[in-house]
Amino acid sequence: MHFAMPPRKTSRPPPYAARQSRGGIQIPYALRAFLRRDKLRTIIVAVLGFVAILWLFGFIGGRGGSSAAAIIGTGPPVVIVTVFDPRADAAWVEKIKANREDYAKRHGYLTFFRTDSQYPLRNSPASWAKVPAMRHAMTLHPSSTWFWYLDSSSLIMNPSIPITSHVLAPSRLEKLMIVNEPVVPPDSVIKTFANLKGDRIDLVLTQDKEGLQPNSFVVRNGEWAKYFLDAWFDPIYRSYNFQKAELHALEHIVQWHGTILAKLAMIPQDMLNSYVSGPAHPKNGQYKEGDLVATFPGCVKRGSCAEEMKNFLDILEKRAAGSD
Amino acid sequence: MEFRRPANLQGRPPVAAMLPRPVVPLLPSSSASSAVRVTGGPCNTAGSGGLHGNLHVSSETLTVTVASPTTFSANAGQRRRRSSAAKQPPPNLQLHHDSSDSRSRLGTTSGLSARSLGEPLPTIPGTPSPFDNKMGSRSPSPRPGGWSSPGLNTPYDTGGRVSPMPGFANGSSHNVTWESAQARSAEVKGYGRFAPRSQGFLGKHFRRISNSLPFSYAEKEKLGRGRYQGSKPLELLRHIGRSLWRLRRSVGVILAVLLTVILFYVTPLHRVYRRSIGGGSKFVVILAVNQGGGVMEWKGPREWAIERDSVKNKKKYTQKWGYELELVDMSTKKRYAHEWRESWEKVDTIRNAMRKYPHAEWFWWLDTNTFIMEPSYSLQSHIFKHLKDVTYRDINLYNPLNISHPPAEEYLDPETRSPVGDGKVDSINIIVPQDCGGFNLGSFFVRRSVWTDRLLDIWWDPVAYEQKHMQWEHKEQDALEYMYTNQPWIRPHVAFIRQRKVNSFPAGACGEKGDNPEIHYQEKDRDFLVNMAGCEWGRDCWAEMYKFRRLSDRLNRNPWEKFKDWISDSFKGMRADPKKNKKKEEQKKKEKQ
Repeated sequence: MHFAMPPRKTSRPPPYAARQSRGGIQIPYALRAFLRRDKLRTIIVAVLGFVAILWLFGFIGGRGGSSAAAIIGTGPPVVIVTVFDPRADAAWVEKIKANREDYAKRHGYLTFFRTDSQYPLRNSPASWAKVPAMRHAMTLHPSSTWFWYLDSSSLIMNPSIPITSHVLAPSRLEKLMIVNEPVVPPDSVIKTFANLKGDRIDLVLTQDKEGLQPNSFVVRNGEWAKYFLDAWFDPIYRSYNFQKAELHALEHIVQWHGTILAKLAMIPQDMLNSYVSGPAHPKNGQYKEGDLVATFPGCVKRGSCAEEMKNFLDILEKRAAGSD
Repeated sequence: MEFRRPANLQGRPPVAAMLPRPVVPLLPSSSASSAVRVTGGPCNTAGSGGLHGNLHVSSETLTVTVASPTTFSANAGQRRRRSSAAKQPPPNLQLHHDSSDSRSRLGTTSGLSARSLGEPLPTIPGTPSPFDNKMGSRSPSPRPGGWSSPGLNTPYDTGGRVSPMPGFANGSSHNVTWESAQARSAEVKGYGRFAPRSQGFLGKHFRRISNSLPFSYAEKEKLGRGRYQGSKPLELLRHIGRSLWRLRRSVGVILAVLLTVILFYVTPLHRVYRRSIGGGSKFVVILAVNQGGGVMEWKGPREWAIERDSVKNKKKYTQKWGYELELVDMSTKKRYAHEWRESWEKVDTIRNAMRKYPHAEWFWWLDTNTFIMEPSYSLQSHIFKHLKDVTYRDINLYNPLNISHPPAEEYLDPETRSPVGDGKVDSINIIVPQDCGGFNLGSFFVRRSVWTDRLLDIWWDPVAYEQKHMQWEHKEQDALEYMYTNQPWIRPHVAFIRQRKVNSFPAGACGEKGDNPEIHYQEKDRDFLVNMAGCEWGRDCWAEMYKFRRLSDRLNRNPWEKFKDWISDSFKGMRADPKKNKKKEEQKKKEKQ
């Protein structure tokens, strides 16, 4: 009002205002201003961090959820499984159980005892019971890694040796593995695989003079174990009248199915299953002082285990008394 | 060129006025001016007897002096004029007036041609012409002794109005001056003297024709005043065009996107995309061909036709979606013919395919007698994107074999004893449809996994084969059922799928009527695949294959084909209707009788 003329323009005009980009997509002013601020960086970092945390939690939770019951390897490393004949002499059964429990206590293992009548064998020989028993032990102790089936005809003679480091450690297994050996001696065309890694082994087994021996074997817990045990326990094998029941069935599936043979490590017999008598492997099958296990093959069938084992049980008792 | 205009304005006979118009634009103004100068000369100066001679001279001079194509037309116009003028009395003054009038007008309106002619305006008295010495001071003629009337010499004008010109030329003796001509023209009213002659078709009808033409220069100039006055839709189009041009950037972007999309689908680019990024290469279709052929029996033409159709169908499908197609020759080979394993190759071929396509995940086994009815369904969208919803783990939902489902043995782990395994999609390794008799392996999916390796390994076992091969009619299918029943480790990884999702049956398989909503193909639901299971046992495989192929083609017509068919169908319907009516009438008659 007071000025007749509009004020003069400054003689130093401001530099040209930044021209809006006419060419590309027009970003709304508010958004542009927002993008320009440092606030955005903070927000992005915060969101990303939040997502990362969620993802981490989800990852851990997801793994926990997949095996909600247990993670293999967190429990006791070994479970010793033994199946008894329900008609066997109770005192002898107790002695055997004590033998396993003593060993398990020394090394922090677990034991799992059942009688063969507990499993639905449907007229097949009682010796088949070891297969469902192993599966049963895995069900009850899902967090353990190794499941060692030790027949009631065997004794642990050297309880100071931990089976994990003595046999089952991968490097040890790689050393012990007998490769390129016919699965069924003397001249089966199917031979054990030559280059298996110790940590990929799921089944540890010995061979006596006549063939594979499921008297004493170790299975690693996992999906493969389910497959192996279920396939072995297939009713078609049980009803097939294999001459030696589950033993021949085992030899059969090992020879015909590569996915089983590829997981199998055959180790020297005296590492897991030394024979006191009977058809021991000519090289290394005979029991000698210091072996982990002494086996009296066929004693259960003969019903004479208690007598045959007497000397060995005495030695164990003396040693136990001496050490105490 | 503008000379003709005043004539028009003055209300000359329309024919005469309009006729020269189309010719005018051809003539450059310079040539017009030269023509004027040349011909004008003899007209005035010689003033000699006849119109004939006079005109003759002018035409000759014209042809001599101006050697441009336009002069010939001028020449022609003058000749025409001469012939007509011979019969007419000279109307010189009237015409004179006309031409002067036209000049004055020209001077005001455009001024161009008058100046270009190089003539001083004759209407101004007392202006000496630079060229005129012999003649009266009034004479504007550029040449000595010649007085030029532009009306006379402009060929177009004269060509147009034929009659007045000769009249003028005739009567214009050398004593006619501009003033006298003006005076006389003022007395003359109308032009009744000259009844325009018929001048041929164009002369008679030109105005009518030119009026009916869709464009008109005159009207445009008069009314439009430079603005375009079109019809409404044209205006709308222009408006749209203008706004499009204004928005050319954004429109261009949209067009580019559209073009890209079209190019994507027209070129094989979309196949590449579906294959690699869309995950098509994760799927392998294994198609068994030549089943039972080879050693055992020779294929006839029908078998060849079936195989050809089936293979073509799958090839098209896999190509469309970027899947792998593995054709497996199932002919009985020596390798199997005398062995136990005879016709158990399914397992071997799946394993071979897994080895051949090491990056594929899912393997879809298909028998020869199958037909993909809906190639527009991708496996991903049809099944694998919502695997959890389309499959079921608990066989009790549909259990034709009466397998007691969750295994009851208590030594088994909880996951195995659960009816749905762990219930997660990841643990599904095989997807099997069930028909009325149990598992059906005519169309099933296997996923590459360690579990699958084990299954394929244990599937065929000599002990099982030895004991069961007589009673296992369907071989590996029965074996899988057996294993599912008796080996608990399998169950948590098997998922079932409703049969009609991947394996619809035609009538004749699982029921003669084909009306089981769980099993049989339903056209209205657009089932994905038809498996003509068991057609080789007493049914006509080729007929069924043909029927379903035609049906699939018909169901998957494109809109254009549908439109064509609709037309032809409606024609057929129209043709059929009278027949029907006749039949009905006949029936009625019969009923009456």
